[in-house]
Amino acid sequence: MEKLTLAPTLNTPSINFDPIGNKFALKGESRPENVRNFYLPILEWLEKFAAEISGKDSSAPLDFSFNFEYFNSTSAKYILDIFKILNSINKAGSEVKVSWHYEEDDEDMYEVGMEMSRMAGIPFEYVVEES
Amino acid sequence: MSDSITLVDYEGAITFGTIEMLLSKLRNSHEFQILKKPSRKRLYGIFVESIDNIYKYAIKRQGKSGSPPKISVKKEGELYLVRAGNLVRNDDVGEITFKLDRVNQLDVEALKSLYEEVINKEPRSSDTGAGLGLITMALRTDRDIVFGFEVVDSSHSFFEYEITLKG
Repeated sequence: MEKLTLAPTLNTPSINFDPIGNKFALKGESRPENVRNFYLPILEWLEKFAAEISGKDSSAPLDFSFNFEYFNSTSAKYILDIFKILNSINKAGSEVKVSWHYEEDDEDMYEVGMEMSRMAGIPFEYVVEES
Repeated sequence: MSDSITLVDYEGAITFGTIEMLLSKLRNSHEFQILKKPSRKRLYGIFVESIDNIYKYAIKRQGKSGSPPKISVKKEGELYLVRAGNLVRNDDVGEITFKLDRVNQLDVEALKSLYEEVINKEPRSSDTGAGLGLITMALRTDRDIVFGFEVVDSSHSFFEYEITLKG
């Protein structure tokens, strides 16, 4: 499956999904003009990826990194949907590691991560970014 | 009465370009930059949600002239006040009042439960949210959201609210 790469903009995060290297990263600010047009291709890519790896043995865990500076409430629904897909990949037998990055002192972003993890049923590793 | 310092004060149509301009103005203001990071991010989040609401609502209200939307951020003493307003249909006043009264009455844990209920109910096809913005804003302030309506004509009212944050 081909990589999914999107450069960051003022209002959308960078996306770097590398299925060969098992590294998947989102980074930046998320408040797209049209949130559906931005996130649907990402969700569809992940669903296709999930179907492709289903039933296959994976030696290395799939390493997902989320490093949001900020995301608005309309993005939140789609970000939760990403975690729900990751949960289904995990349950299907491919180990998924999620790291949730937040800036030092940004307790709100840390708490949002805790809520996302609980709602999606997938554990996060929390990583403090020094500002 | 404390002095009032204006960070942003805008009245007029909101386009996506306007949003970037207003966010840039907020980010570059001295009174924003001196805030500690947690408060700064809270203020930024409340401003984005407020302006998003106007932007989305304005799309539905195309063609209705007069009573343009407005949004401002002011610092009064140690408090930061976000005020936003836009025209609404009188038919929607009851629902807006219900949603605001509800978030004002709930404590943090109850707001988180409501957030979970709403985020899981929202269909993926939606682009406008279903009140998540309001719940998110209520979670970022420990004071009630003060709001009111002023009747404009037989079918429209001007809706305004104010959210207070400690600096």
